[in-house]
Amino acid sequence: MRSAAAAFAWEFRQRHRWGLAGLVVYLFVLAAIKMLFLARGHAISFDNNLSYAFVVVVPVTATFLYFLAVFSFGLAGDLAARQSMYPARLFTLPVTTAGLAGWPMLYGTVAMALLWAAMRLFALWPPEFDVPMIWPALLAASMLAWLQALTWMPYPLPGLRVIVTVLWLTAIDAVVFIAVEFKVREPVMLALLAPHVPLAYLAARFAVGRARRGHVPDWRRMFRPLSTFATVLANRRESFPSAARAQVWFEWRAHGRSLPLLVAILLPFELGQLFIHGDTPKLVFYTLAVVLLTPGFMAGFVSATASTSNPPFLATRPLSSASLIAAKLTATIWSTAAAWLLVLAAVPLGLELSGTWPVVIEPARRLHAVIGTPRAVVIGLLALSGLILWTWKRLVQGLYIGLTGRASLIKGNVFLTLSLLCVLGPALHWMIGNSLVRVAVVDVMGWLPAVLVPIKMAAAAWVVTRLYRSGLLSDRVLVTGAACWCAAVLALYGVLVWIVSTPLFPRSFLALVAILAIPLARLSAAPLALAWNRHR
Amino acid sequence: MNEPVINVTGLTRRFGARAALDSVSVSLPRGAVYGLVGANGAGKTTLIRHILGLLRAESGSVRVFGLDPVADPVAVLSRIGYLSEENDLPGWMRVGELLRYSRAFYSGWDDAYAEELRQAFALDPAAKIKTLSKGQKARAGLLIALAYRPELLVLDEPSSGLDPIVRRDILGAVIRTIADEGRTVLFSSHLLEEVEQVADHVTMINQGTIVLSAPLDVIKASHHGASLNEIFVAHVGRGATPAEAV
Repeated sequence: MRSAAAAFAWEFRQRHRWGLAGLVVYLFVLAAIKMLFLARGHAISFDNNLSYAFVVVVPVTATFLYFLAVFSFGLAGDLAARQSMYPARLFTLPVTTAGLAGWPMLYGTVAMALLWAAMRLFALWPPEFDVPMIWPALLAASMLAWLQALTWMPYPLPGLRVIVTVLWLTAIDAVVFIAVEFKVREPVMLALLAPHVPLAYLAARFAVGRARRGHVPDWRRMFRPLSTFATVLANRRESFPSAARAQVWFEWRAHGRSLPLLVAILLPFELGQLFIHGDTPKLVFYTLAVVLLTPGFMAGFVSATASTSNPPFLATRPLSSASLIAAKLTATIWSTAAAWLLVLAAVPLGLELSGTWPVVIEPARRLHAVIGTPRAVVIGLLALSGLILWTWKRLVQGLYIGLTGRASLIKGNVFLTLSLLCVLGPALHWMIGNSLVRVAVVDVMGWLPAVLVPIKMAAAAWVVTRLYRSGLLSDRVLVTGAACWCAAVLALYGVLVWIVSTPLFPRSFLALVAILAIPLARLSAAPLALAWNRHR
Repeated sequence: MNEPVINVTGLTRRFGARAALDSVSVSLPRGAVYGLVGANGAGKTTLIRHILGLLRAESGSVRVFGLDPVADPVAVLSRIGYLSEENDLPGWMRVGELLRYSRAFYSGWDDAYAEELRQAFALDPAAKIKTLSKGQKARAGLLIALAYRPELLVLDEPSSGLDPIVRRDILGAVIRTIADEGRTVLFSSHLLEEVEQVADHVTMINQGTIVLSAPLDVIKASHHGASLNEIFVAHVGRGATPAEAV
């Protein structure tokens, strides 16, 4: 290694070589598709936004977020801590502070610019869409540069980093959105964005300099009365009645609070849209849809951290693997409940304060008039229960992969999910656009659950057999679990039969849907995954 | 009958092509201090991880209190106090919370003894683990490993990288545990002087194989009173710490 610049480049390349290789493959595929289209003289049209979103937007957004995490060293830091997230091991290198701040920022901003250049060059853009030349690259680079500066900065209070970063990045985003809304020309956009990277660099250099000198401001003295109160409360708490309860507390404190906290941070911004677009019913419903999908969406992010941690400290607790999983599941139930309590309290408040209740009540009245009170209530409750169950499923469905502790399995799962998303969009687009295929798909749609249900049941049978043989769960727990699952499926089937009373959907189809909707195989595999990790 | 607390027979473990443990057999009767010594990478931690059930025996068998620690982790771990070399206590917990959390797992938890240890180790119950120094974290780990008076205390390189005062606390803990009749200590280290101070029985491990295992006084007598460092060099061909390499 001949220079600090080369050493920084080597570290980024070496640590993330598989992610970068995946990105190169994706860009290669995009370029090949584009050349195929152009060689055959096909017109590129996206009458379906969904397919464009899946082919281009999902992978690019994932790569953008990945770059943000990589170049800000965010993959290995504590976001809520007061201390800088810049790796302390680098402070002792014989490199100037300008170099410590500058090289990662230079590589990151160049990577962001190259990402945009590659997308502009290789992605299939609709001809009617005027693709901007440079400013998106500059926006991505600016976002990264500010994220670096703000995460490397030491803060006087715990958690302040999150608030400052979210507010500042949202402000930059809002300015750009307004500029786009007003159809501002590219040179103006460049003028708006150009100062960001140099300013962020100055801030980053200042931040790294302070962190390097160990200068962490401390305002906690101002909140000492609160802190004393919290300590008194903590000391007054009585002992846990059992090891299982102690473990639930541990899971709640370690991971359970993340989802309600994230939802609480996002809700004011989302519900704030009601005050801006309250006079447009369509936008009110869009806003409510986003709010109702937020817990489930954020649960996906939270589960990634909650499911992968199994340090020796936890592995050496005298608790069975099944009890450790039970504690995790209980904490996820609390977490889901807390997140939804927030949503259910905030939505009526937001509707009331923004004066948009009538916009929501009117369609509800129409539905009530058409299907009657009991069905309207049950549909509402079913939709709410479905969203709550979906949130909980998102929290727990990754446990069977994450708890194995095998990096190759975890990364492979992420790669497969993203790949599936990329394939699903064009496949849907093709099916919707082709009437023959559409008819064929509708014909076989009834059979799709009939194919999926045996797969699910076979997987569940395999998992239960392994659980029984390993002795991880007692016979009683296995039988009780199976009985609860059957009861949930029967209850859902009963509700579906009552609501969907149409010959279009035969009862056998509804039974299969109920079987598919209630989690079984992946959830049951979690104790096996943990035991496999705990006793390697 | 004095049944061994730990009984390892023909234990072999490979990580890829490298044998971390090769046909290791060890038997530890109750009521003594066992020093497991060897250079870094000799296989000490791998052996301890098998004893705790964190690694599954590929071949051979591991029995702790006559039980398989993988098949019955609750029965085994509830009788072991363990201080890990990595010291991975959850940083977000306060010391008081760590004590409250840990006491829920052990029926033999002694509140008075825990408080005595906390004061002796000068640990503030309101302090967060992540704000503690390395030595304070080691003390906190030692506190929760000792407070329920475990039948078997397992210390994996407990003094690695710590100052002499914390090392003294750890050795003091070993001596206290010995004072409780019938308790056993397994103490792994590459600092042979420390092991020499407290161990009754020494097992030397090198490249995954046991090169010597005998009571310390027997070892010393057969080596004409040489120090443990000198005996280690004679059997292994180099010192246990990098500075002592021959």
